[in-house]
Amino acid sequence: MKTILSSETMDIPDGVKIKINARVIEVEGPRGKLSRDFKHLNLDFQLIKDEEGKKKLKIDAWFATRKTSAAIRTALSHVENLITGVTKGYRYKMRFVYAHFPINASITNSNTAIEIRNFLGEKKITAMQFFDRLSVPCFEVCCAKCMDSSVLFQISSVSYDTCYMQVRKVDMLDGVTILRSEKVKDELVLDGNDIELVSRSAALINQKCHVKNKDIRKFLDGIYVSEKGTVVVEE
Amino acid sequence: MPFKRYVEIGRVALVNYGKEYGRLVVIVDVIDQNRALIDAPDMVRSQMNFKRLSLTDIKIEINRVPKKKALIEAMEKADVKNKWEKSSWGRRLIVQQRRAALNDFDRFKLMLAKIKRGGLIRQELAKLKKENAA
Repeated sequence: MKTILSSETMDIPDGVKIKINARVIEVEGPRGKLSRDFKHLNLDFQLIKDEEGKKKLKIDAWFATRKTSAAIRTALSHVENLITGVTKGYRYKMRFVYAHFPINASITNSNTAIEIRNFLGEKKITAMQFFDRLSVPCFEVCCAKCMDSSVLFQISSVSYDTCYMQVRKVDMLDGVTILRSEKVKDELVLDGNDIELVSRSAALINQKCHVKNKDIRKFLDGIYVSEKGTVVVEE
Repeated sequence: MPFKRYVEIGRVALVNYGKEYGRLVVIVDVIDQNRALIDAPDMVRSQMNFKRLSLTDIKIEINRVPKKKALIEAMEKADVKNKWEKSSWGRRLIVQQRRAALNDFDRFKLMLAKIKRGGLIRQELAKLKKENAA
């Protein structure tokens, strides 16, 4: 059955500028600008001013089926996330969990990438092994792991342990920064404005440290999200 | 962006398909999601699909399904006919009807009038160009 009209409104706090044009919403606030495109939804977005002059966002659905009416509230929630992202920002905290092998993480690239080593003690050697003091001038070799010649290295003399070690590298998405928190052992802090990007970066880090071929009830190692909050915390 | 012309009792609409093509009618009741009961001073009250109606900006004050006399009174009070003929949509329709009803002699007269008008416009333009160049 189609409901003739279903609509919902939401308050817009002061200090945030919203622009709506053709179902593309742009939000601007003290922490920056975010934009989101709702062209996959068939809804009417309007900015209205109700009595006492408060600014509100109103979403209408005409002759909507059940699923379309449900999409009204989710669109409002997405806009709410944009607004808090742009005023308070999002901070996700992750903890390293390990039983025996300390997870060794280093943050590279001016806080936009993380390299993880020694997860579960792995030392997978994936390039060709060389014997001690083999001296072969100007020998070009391509990395056996990725099989592409962009990782050519010239070797004149190589000893056993300068081979390629298993490193898990995760690049943060646009606008997300990562740092190792001081004072708390083994904690990562991801900061950003867009909740989708921050939570997806956290998920990428988590997924890089899945345990394979083992009973996961016993091998609980990994990097897990411990707290989802905002950067600016109000008391 | 939001809608301005709503389907409501008293909304004046133009029929854009079917036997009553081109007639101005008033919506006097809504039957279901797709159909309305419509009425006009010189027509039997009947049902019509919304897809055959184009809503106009004009709305009159009536109760649900008024008697014919009450409908005519309300239309006079709101001056629907004059408002329609003065609106740009109404004027355009009247011009289209006139053009469709021209006979050959009228079309000849029209051609001469257009040529004369074009000539006057070009004269004025030439005067302005001369002033500008000077």
